[in-house]
Amino acid sequence: MAPAARMPLSRVQQYTLLALLTLTALPHLLNVEIRVSLLFLLLAGYRFVAVGRGRLLPGKLILFLITMGALGNVLLLYPILFGKDAGVALLVSMLALKLMEMRVKRDVHILVFIGYFMLITQFLYREDTWLVVYALMMVIALTATLIESNRIHPSAHPLGALKVSLWMLAQSLPLMIMLFIFFPRFSSPLWNLVEQKHSAVTGVTGNISPGSISRLSRSSAVAFRVDFTQQIPPPSQRYWRGPVFSSSDGKNWEADEADELPAGVIKGLNPPIIYSVTLEPTPGRWLYALELPVEIPADAQLRSDYQLLRNTPIRRRIRYDVSSVTDYQTGTLSEEVRTKSLLLPPGISPRMLDLVDSWQQRNGSDSDVVLRALDYFREQPFFYTLYPPPLGESPADQFLFETRRGFCEHYATSFTLLMRIAGIPARMVGGYQGGQVNPLGNYLIVRQSDAHAWSEVWLQGRGWQRVDPTVAVAPERIEQAIDPTLINDVIGAPVLFNLEEGTLYSVLKKLRWGVDALNASWHRWVLGYSKERQLYLMQLLHLGALHGQKLAFAMIAATGLSLLLLTLTLLYRVRSKPDPVYSTYLDFCRRVQRFRGVVRMAHEGPLDFAERVTSKFPELHASVAAITGLYIAIRYGRQDSKSNRRRLKRMIRSFHG
Amino acid sequence: MNFHALAPLRRMARGNSGGRAQITPRCIYILPTGYGLLFGILLMLMLTGSINYANNLGFMLTFLLVGLGLVGMLHTWRNLLGLEVGSGRVAPVFAGDEACFGIHLINQRRSARSGLQMHIPHHSMASIDLNPVSSELLTLSVASSKRGKLPLPRFTLSTRYPLGLFVAWVYVELDSECLVYPKPGERMPERLLTRYDQSKSGDRGVGADDFVGLRHYRPGDSPRHINWRAVAREQGLQTKLFGGDRTERCWLDWNALQGDKEQRLSQLCRGVLEASGAELEFGLKLPDREFTPARGQQHRADCLAALALY
Repeated sequence: MAPAARMPLSRVQQYTLLALLTLTALPHLLNVEIRVSLLFLLLAGYRFVAVGRGRLLPGKLILFLITMGALGNVLLLYPILFGKDAGVALLVSMLALKLMEMRVKRDVHILVFIGYFMLITQFLYREDTWLVVYALMMVIALTATLIESNRIHPSAHPLGALKVSLWMLAQSLPLMIMLFIFFPRFSSPLWNLVEQKHSAVTGVTGNISPGSISRLSRSSAVAFRVDFTQQIPPPSQRYWRGPVFSSSDGKNWEADEADELPAGVIKGLNPPIIYSVTLEPTPGRWLYALELPVEIPADAQLRSDYQLLRNTPIRRRIRYDVSSVTDYQTGTLSEEVRTKSLLLPPGISPRMLDLVDSWQQRNGSDSDVVLRALDYFREQPFFYTLYPPPLGESPADQFLFETRRGFCEHYATSFTLLMRIAGIPARMVGGYQGGQVNPLGNYLIVRQSDAHAWSEVWLQGRGWQRVDPTVAVAPERIEQAIDPTLINDVIGAPVLFNLEEGTLYSVLKKLRWGVDALNASWHRWVLGYSKERQLYLMQLLHLGALHGQKLAFAMIAATGLSLLLLTLTLLYRVRSKPDPVYSTYLDFCRRVQRFRGVVRMAHEGPLDFAERVTSKFPELHASVAAITGLYIAIRYGRQDSKSNRRRLKRMIRSFHG
Repeated sequence: MNFHALAPLRRMARGNSGGRAQITPRCIYILPTGYGLLFGILLMLMLTGSINYANNLGFMLTFLLVGLGLVGMLHTWRNLLGLEVGSGRVAPVFAGDEACFGIHLINQRRSARSGLQMHIPHHSMASIDLNPVSSELLTLSVASSKRGKLPLPRFTLSTRYPLGLFVAWVYVELDSECLVYPKPGERMPERLLTRYDQSKSGDRGVGADDFVGLRHYRPGDSPRHINWRAVAREQGLQTKLFGGDRTERCWLDWNALQGDKEQRLSQLCRGVLEASGAELEFGLKLPDREFTPARGQQHRADCLAALALY
């Protein structure tokens, strides 16, 4: 090892390393136990104070004790050193200790390596775009530190190393892309680590109570994206079915996940729509599909109530293909389901019974009752609002006759109850309604703000039919989605739908579309790049036969090729044209060597060389002196002109010793 | 890294007759350093983690660093490629002293070459950051042990820049020699050193006693005799001539000394140094050649060279 490795670090280097490594560890301080974070901050802070005060740095014994303390700390908090949390806690502690003993140039490498590793572990917790940008900036800075430490003297320009780092990372990008595309992906992990608790994910759950959907509606987070192979259906048909709620205690409605009966026959009245959904992590196992799904993914089941349930929880983004019919008839109703769909929860008030009774007084079929109920919602002063007043013990009664301000779940639950009172089998369906078409990407984005609840009634001869009482109150809701960015300003007020579209607003909207299109491809091709995607991409590239071992070879070939191209570019840049006058002079030196065997030494200036040549060969005095004189006059004097350059060339060409 | 273990097989950059060597792709060796191996282990770890957690961002960072490592290797290699090494002037030394070989590093490229290191095992090393299109003169010193010509040993030119993950090196052989004078020995006996020779042809103006006049400066005149006042008046270099019948002149004679060859040479060397230090006119008699008495730096250098190469 070169003695340079034992050179002490300068203050600037110490501050840079401390700041950079603290920054790489920073996002982790929220991921590990607070005691580990505190210890890190304490040690890093102390080291910061100790810069330039060598006597404050701990000796070997103290360092050993601190190490033991830090290890004990981790062991106490994570008794089985297993899983990513324990690993990260250990890594953070190790970094703190390494910072404490950082003294000489050699430590830079180790610290930068720890920094790189710290960055990759961040991605186990978050996959946000800001984190990617942050990590990239850190990689640039860490690499610059590494480059700077390999110089003999500090760069003259403080950002010199940063420029080299950026340049080198830019050159590694093609290699990264080749490796990323071709590196064979595995469908299952190498080994199973202890599954950790998952962070709360938002989405429609299997339990609906008044207010649960309106809470969701304030979030603009993406629920899923849908790619259609054909025409995207109109908004009024975009009902994305999720959990189906049949049983209630009067306040809460529960979806039935346990009933494993398969779905009955669905008779489609129009050709099925084929599409694929990229679903973000959701709290349950429901896969969302247009009503009603007919062809379903292999790892999911369609239950008797047409819930589409995946076999395993959806903890990371998944993609699946479905096809649905939007106009359909279902078969007969089993006695069991009929009973379930007519069951009345406690809390049915006489007022509700009277209301239904008044509808049934007039003769008519079940569908007439449905229409009368919808008329009721339309004609009475019902308001559609995201911030409904709180409801007490019998929410349905209170809502129907007193507050009359509610969100979709209020309308759907009370409507379902009224239908059951009227003896019409009814249940509630949760999911999403609508979605925005991204004009730049030809796909549909469905956000949490599109969360919706509606009802379903069983009518003789038609089977289960969707009824959305919200349409009666706020038909705009179905045609136009709520814009969650506008909602927060109007707390308590009735919902304003996206009505006015000023120029600025439409520009902003376009920008948002563009960002989302980028975001979607990022999700689809980067974050969600899997074995299946890889196979698909290979087919797109007409490399369909590549998989497994062949893929590995392709990876090596592609990376090698990129590296070769890079080498050639770099080699090309090596060659620089020397000064033309100088190269003319070099031609003269070569001629002297050829004709007289006198070689110009590396340290010899033109005058010295001329003197040496003429002392050996006095007969050359005139020509050598003339050439040397002219060369010096052009290069160092003020005689540089085109004609003089030509004259020098001519003189040298006619020099024959 | 023991570069010299590979001695018999190696290719090297040899200087041309002009004392310059250009580093070609074929003579560059490159190997990962200890840190490079550590970095490799780190990458393996990162890759395993990424596979296990099927984490595509992890894959991306890992592959970016793999790319960075490869690009770093390329840059380390390129840092030497095309570099020109030339031998510079070498000042003669006395045996036992450090011979300092001047070595020019010439960067013709429009990008910098940082972190260059030259190294002669067991002797010395020198390091430099070269700016774009520039050249620097570095010195490598070698301890001289005996008089004669000391050739510049083969040395290595290496670099770990930019990432320190790889070390690239070349063996360079340049034709550069250092003239090593004998180590100055014992003082010569006083009686042998100084002898007053009576000038027979009278006052030739080469004495040391009385000022007789001025003449134009000629190379070889002692700086002590330059008329500095005239220089200050911008009248050009003039040498003061001193008269006096006596001129201090001595002969350093091989035959007058005793001892073996090296001892005699050492003593003569000492004699030359003292005589020229005292501004004496001295001559040197060796068994095979003779230097007529004279003074000046050139004369001193010629005499010492004769002693070195005897």
